[in-house]
Amino acid sequence: MERKGARRERILELLEEHGGLREGVAAAISAETGVPEADVYGVATFYTLVSRPGVGVRICQGLTCKLAGADARAAELQGHGVDHEWVSCLGRCDRAPVALDPELELIPWGARGAISPDDPELPMNLGGADDASYRALARARGIGAAQVIEQLRAAGLQGRGGAGFPAHIKWSAVRGEADPVRYVVVNADESEPGTFKDREILLRRPHLLIEGAAIAAWVVGASIVYVYIRGEFTDARRSLEAALEAAAPHLDGIEIRIVAGHGAYICGEETALLEAIEGRRGMPRLKPPYPTRSGLWGKPTLMNNVETLACVPSILLRGGDWFQSWGRDEPGSKLYCLSGHVARPGVYELPLGVTLDELVEAGGGYVGTPRAFSPGGAASGFLPISERSRPLDMGGLAAAGSMLGSAGVVVLNDTVDMAQAARWQAIFFQDESCGQCAPCRIGCSLQRRSLDRWIDDRDPATLQHVEEIHWEMEEGSICGLGMTASLPLVTAMRHFPEDFRSQR
Amino acid sequence: MSQSVRITVDGVEVQVEPGATVLTAATTAGIAVPTLCHEARVDPMGSCRMCLVEIEGQRRLQPSCAFPASDGMVVHTDSGRVRRHRRVLLSMYLADHELDEDGLPKERGTGNRLRQHVLEHGTGPTLPPIAADRSYREDDNPYVHFDPEACILCNLCVRYCDEVEAVSAITLANRGSHTTIATADQRSLLDTSCELCGGCIAVCPTGAMTERPALGLDWRREEKIRTTCNFCGVGCQLDLHVADDRIVRITSPEPGRTVNDGNLCVKGRFAYEFVHHDDRLTTPLIRGGDGELRPASWPEALAAAAAGLLGVKERHGADALGFVSSSRCTGEENYLVQKLARAAFGTNNCHQCAAT
Repeated sequence: MERKGARRERILELLEEHGGLREGVAAAISAETGVPEADVYGVATFYTLVSRPGVGVRICQGLTCKLAGADARAAELQGHGVDHEWVSCLGRCDRAPVALDPELELIPWGARGAISPDDPELPMNLGGADDASYRALARARGIGAAQVIEQLRAAGLQGRGGAGFPAHIKWSAVRGEADPVRYVVVNADESEPGTFKDREILLRRPHLLIEGAAIAAWVVGASIVYVYIRGEFTDARRSLEAALEAAAPHLDGIEIRIVAGHGAYICGEETALLEAIEGRRGMPRLKPPYPTRSGLWGKPTLMNNVETLACVPSILLRGGDWFQSWGRDEPGSKLYCLSGHVARPGVYELPLGVTLDELVEAGGGYVGTPRAFSPGGAASGFLPISERSRPLDMGGLAAAGSMLGSAGVVVLNDTVDMAQAARWQAIFFQDESCGQCAPCRIGCSLQRRSLDRWIDDRDPATLQHVEEIHWEMEEGSICGLGMTASLPLVTAMRHFPEDFRSQR
Repeated sequence: MSQSVRITVDGVEVQVEPGATVLTAATTAGIAVPTLCHEARVDPMGSCRMCLVEIEGQRRLQPSCAFPASDGMVVHTDSGRVRRHRRVLLSMYLADHELDEDGLPKERGTGNRLRQHVLEHGTGPTLPPIAADRSYREDDNPYVHFDPEACILCNLCVRYCDEVEAVSAITLANRGSHTTIATADQRSLLDTSCELCGGCIAVCPTGAMTERPALGLDWRREEKIRTTCNFCGVGCQLDLHVADDRIVRITSPEPGRTVNDGNLCVKGRFAYEFVHHDDRLTTPLIRGGDGELRPASWPEALAAAAAGLLGVKERHGADALGFVSSSRCTGEENYLVQKLARAAFGTNNCHQCAAT
């Protein structure tokens, strides 16, 4: 049991200072924090960036990087005697294949990804100059908290992290809580394969995020904002830190703290993220209670994705109705991440609800003959190219048994074996399952195994229980990871049965 | 007291205290919901997913062990959806568990609840073993054996060690299918804060944690005999497990029934070897004039002791005598020792070794 007054939240930064988990480190951190040694060890072994010190080059084994020839790059490194390790998606699919050096800095193999051209009309306009005037924050203070929430409602802004929960409802809920101590937490733990939009906001327009977060804190009555940023995003973190210095004079008592992640995709799940900030293993909590009532350290907590908050300044400056009218069937503009078999991978800000063809046109067109696409990150599964005219929004994709998710769109052409594509996604989920609940922990392994056996032996019997396992993972898992982890496999089998037949 | 909550479980309406869980309501209604990671002495975790039930108005199945009952709630614990969930979940557990020749979860320790659930609720598809790669720990402690292949990661042992014993010697370690129960730096329990109380064994639903001295024994052959622990004055109740006239295992009565509330210490649970030890004295011995100990009858021994003690009293007075009783004695026996000192010999010089 931890000591009264234990500094549990320091465990992960101390692990970093100690150079990762080596023998004796858990004991030293236990003495420094008052958290039992075994507990420290359990936390350390959960996070890949601290659990195995001494890793050399990290090569991304995400879908897009594999499509872009990561294997050849790995072989090249091997040939030069460079130590390397395969790791989960590194969130730079626009410049695939991707690798990080031992200091987690990007190895510049490919050119930087594209973005939409500078257009001041765009709500986020990644190509424009970052605005550090904090006019929107001043305007929020001028019109009052209730009016800010009303503008969010008029804007129809929905959470851009994947779940699509209406922002104004969350903000109102936290604002209405009785407990005077509240927190705002920014989810910048962008790790869904195929997704790299928040990274571009942090690199190009960090003040959009800081201003949105400051407005959120002011509206819900929080004095501290935590930004939980993916550990592998060292460049984005530096950009945010520099912007925070410039922002300080405008924030008027609102403190923004950066907490770095340590290598665990699941910490993008909101309650796992809270556990990580508190210095625990990133295992999702049972809901209810929801974070709006009982979040960080049990206090009411408003958690929003980076993009969600980055939409807020323009909504306040130009009005909710203006933002709303950007979308087609659903409100607003959207940052779409485009990668895979397209000419110019990158982040494109377009009306919410464009079609795949429109998005790919912005990205310079298809490469080869398109066959499939994954519309919203690994968890959205695959759709056949015949769905190219479907609106890429929440309703449109839900109707196709998929989801907009993080809007990480990956295009696959007809050179790709969909069983192989499904296996790359299955490897990701198996590696990133937290292991807490049985349906996900065992289910991810079973599905991965089914795919391995199919690809190696071409025995269709190995696939016979895929649907039933998927059913249980969806019904029985604690969090969204387990519920959707089978979708790449299930949708690949559904839409591309020819890749799962013995006679090919 | 605030008003009670009325809730309907499988058509049975019951009243429970505010804050009670759906599981408590089901139990109150006389409905058994299968569980694995639930234990009343620790906070619910809801991770084994065995107790999921259907609650009207909730889109998802919910863990009854953690979900609060609310007024007017209608719960179904035996719907087609819940039954299908249980069967497929159990199939998945079987794919990650050592099985016996009948394809059932192997029996260990004092029984395997996973096996009971499989027998009672059935399974879905037969799935191949996932052969999860887990790290093992070399552990030379004499009492607690851990087999990761029998572990379902309910985390009860860790939660018990932390929340009930406040010892925190073990933890969930690693992630995903590599997750296992570990000690800091995977050291032997002897080199951790572990007190070898064996509570981890008591709460383990599958026998992944077992008493090392009883490894491989068939618990069905064991007869349980209730007794009072005589290592200290607390009065913990013990169930001695006896097979072939030998104690092979000691457990606590279930929590909530006796003073020890399901808990034991290392002595109560494991220090029983002396009972059958070759060196144990089974007859009184009297030391003769030559200094050698010789077997004697109880009347002879008592007479010799009385004569010696009375001799001291006559020669030097009663206060030349002192009586020290053992912490191994029960409260009643300690009472009798002071009675003997005061009433029979007339001295207040009495002490008990645990009374410092």
